[in-house]
Amino acid sequence: MHRRIAHVVTLATLILAVAVAPVAAQQDKPRSGGELVFVVPSQPPSYDAHQEETFGVIHPMAPHYGTLLRVDPFEKTGTKPVGDLAESWTISKDGLTYTFKLRKGVKFHDGAELTSKDAKASYDKIIFPPAGLKSSRKATYASVEAVEAPDPSTVRFRLKWPESSFLLNLASPWNWIYRAETLAKDIRWYEKNVNGTGPFTFVEHVKGSHWVGKKNANYWDKGKPYLDGYRALFISASAPQVAAIRGERAFIQFRGFSPPERDQLVNALGPKITVQQSGWDCVLMVAMHHDKKPFSDKRVRRALTLALDRYEGSKNLSRITIVRDVGGVQVPGTPYATPPAELEKLAGYGKDINAARAEAKKLLKEAGVPDGFAFTFKNRGIPHPYEPIGVWLIDQWRQIGLNVKQEFVEASAYHPMLKRGDFEVAMDFACGFIVEPDLDLFRFVSTSDANYGKHKDAVIDELYVKQARAADPEERKKILRQFEKRLLDEEAHIMYTLWWNRIIPHNSRVKGWTITPSHYLNNQLDTVWLSE
Amino acid sequence: MWKYLLKRSLLMIPTLLGVAVVIFFLIRIIPGDVVELRMSGDTGSVSEEILKSERARFGLDKPVWQQFVTWIAGVARLDFGTSMWTGAPIWDEIKLRFALSMQVAVMATLIAVSLAIPLGVIAALKQDSWIDYAVRIFSIAGLATPSFWLGIVFILSLLIIFKWLPPMVYTPFWVDPWQNIQQLIWPALAVGYRYSAVATRMTRSAMLEVLREDYIRTARAKGLWQKLVLWRHALKNAMLPVMTVVGIEFAFLLGGLVVTEQVFNLNGLGLLFVQAVAHRDYTLIQALVMLVAGFTILVNFAMDVMYGWLDPRIRYR
Repeated sequence: MHRRIAHVVTLATLILAVAVAPVAAQQDKPRSGGELVFVVPSQPPSYDAHQEETFGVIHPMAPHYGTLLRVDPFEKTGTKPVGDLAESWTISKDGLTYTFKLRKGVKFHDGAELTSKDAKASYDKIIFPPAGLKSSRKATYASVEAVEAPDPSTVRFRLKWPESSFLLNLASPWNWIYRAETLAKDIRWYEKNVNGTGPFTFVEHVKGSHWVGKKNANYWDKGKPYLDGYRALFISASAPQVAAIRGERAFIQFRGFSPPERDQLVNALGPKITVQQSGWDCVLMVAMHHDKKPFSDKRVRRALTLALDRYEGSKNLSRITIVRDVGGVQVPGTPYATPPAELEKLAGYGKDINAARAEAKKLLKEAGVPDGFAFTFKNRGIPHPYEPIGVWLIDQWRQIGLNVKQEFVEASAYHPMLKRGDFEVAMDFACGFIVEPDLDLFRFVSTSDANYGKHKDAVIDELYVKQARAADPEERKKILRQFEKRLLDEEAHIMYTLWWNRIIPHNSRVKGWTITPSHYLNNQLDTVWLSE
Repeated sequence: MWKYLLKRSLLMIPTLLGVAVVIFFLIRIIPGDVVELRMSGDTGSVSEEILKSERARFGLDKPVWQQFVTWIAGVARLDFGTSMWTGAPIWDEIKLRFALSMQVAVMATLIAVSLAIPLGVIAALKQDSWIDYAVRIFSIAGLATPSFWLGIVFILSLLIIFKWLPPMVYTPFWVDPWQNIQQLIWPALAVGYRYSAVATRMTRSAMLEVLREDYIRTARAKGLWQKLVLWRHALKNAMLPVMTVVGIEFAFLLGGLVVTEQVFNLNGLGLLFVQAVAHRDYTLIQALVMLVAGFTILVNFAMDVMYGWLDPRIRYR
């Protein structure tokens, strides 16, 4: 009897599976139509991505533009460059010349055809901006000698020295291709206007409220985009952002939510919510001013990092705020990340916290720092994850006999404070747009503007250049490990806390979007579609 | 009367000028520089050359007194300049937000007045009865409840019970009245309740005072209808302090609903104010302060004129 019932159940399951299979397949097949409504927690100061640094520009406006290369929209580490406006490319044997062939038939939204002149003019604006015009990422193209347009479909970059990150850096989501003719007439035109080659055309921007784009019928990638349009809602506070997703007024917010907010959405919406999570190329660090005693002494700096129980901190802090991974100088899980076995050898990353703290106390004693030594830790006045990380740090430092007072600096006054060097120990942070050692580690070079601790270290400078020019990835990894050991262990110039954790709970109808470790990537929306 | 109106109108000029001087210099005392903030971005790295050129573009390289003269000359022509953060004309930044904030203020005032006057009058007439106690509890609860908290309760109740959320984007009333009302009725209710509590208590106490006056006793002794005594003699006189409260609250609502605007994601003047201060957007802050100051002065002026209509004993000189 039981066997008979089992057979009936199996048969019914099979019939159901056969019946459901085409529906499921249909569900996975991109479907055209619909408007994607998403939340943007920041706002664009101007419309020119070459100048700006906030995702408030990228999220609503990236769908209007094309870039020479982009990162593969389906690859989770966000480190694989693929062609966007460039169809193919070649690299000379000496690594000094990169030649790109542009796609044919690509048109700007005003109807003009894309040529290599447009790519050259855009990159000239980024790399060699005219006097008085800001270009935020100019420094990352220091190796470029010239950008050339030998014929209408070819763009050539000539470098002064080979650079292993160059190709990936050309996939920067900020390097929108503008019209050469427009730039020639008014180099600031794109600060207030939109005209790109992207999958969506501009409809309207209501300041402080929303941004609307509609499908570009002349997009070069036929069949795309799938959406009829999109609407970006500017919502700064986190509670209304969560409410917007929960009330199904918006499908997604591309930056990220905290763990409690994720849980709230999952509990409220159940299967209507899909959660994508990833490591995040953002990290809070502790800058120690090398000109101020006792932080000029590397033993003291080392003691401060040895005091941190990062593994226990990760367990607890990841429940309440947007941090998770313990890692070295690269996002864990990405190509140049530190293997766990090597990580444990660095100061402050060992699994025996008692031994580490005993060593920290010994170092402080050797450096002449008395028990109960007091200093002020300046933190940025932003709740997540600055406040919980600040509280955690103070608690950890107390365990080695330090008495730390936390001072919150208003967000607007924070960077000027760091730049002035008006601190003993302060929270520093970095958020990259692509996980790439050249881009992430330049800040630690002695001459960098973002070297707030003001260390001068010729070894670090030399190792940075060496890794940047290493053609072989394995060789580059070795140099990076030396760089990391010098930066975080031997000299302890700076200390990393925990890498951020990117959590995107989105409406399950949103398909074709893959999370990466950067909230600046994957926002062209050409691959995104809405299921029934 | 006309002489008085002219005198009061002219008096607005030195008041606004005083506000202009205070805000212009005060905002420059706060640490932080709009150009450095705007240009430094998240990395904090920007060359001195760029900073200099941007400061020159906004005229910030000139002496402060010269900047003030240029700005005040623009204000006199109703030209507030451009936002130092976005580069857009100030009026473009303000106009939509002004319309939204003004509508919320008007709706909240209508809700408050339509609740406060009947409740205050009934409570006064039925003093120390259960009705009076009920009204007093209702109004004290209103005073004790922050509008933003009530707003959160509204949002959560709508989400949890009705699985519905008000629209997130402001649609002007003349474009789609239903959409507009669906969005703004909730903040107007949240704000209007607290506002009505203040006005209810004021109406009640003013009515109690007026009802004990000799002229009310005389009117009753003459055998006038109770309704006539209330409407023509008592309420009209009791309205003077109520109008003052309503006027002050109305002027406050224009730029003071920062947290409530955040809760409901309203693109209003309060949020714009906070963003402008965070960005040290001097021109925008100055324009917003002048706008709110001008509006407050106008409301006060209107209230003063209304006093004469409500109480004929008041004479304008």
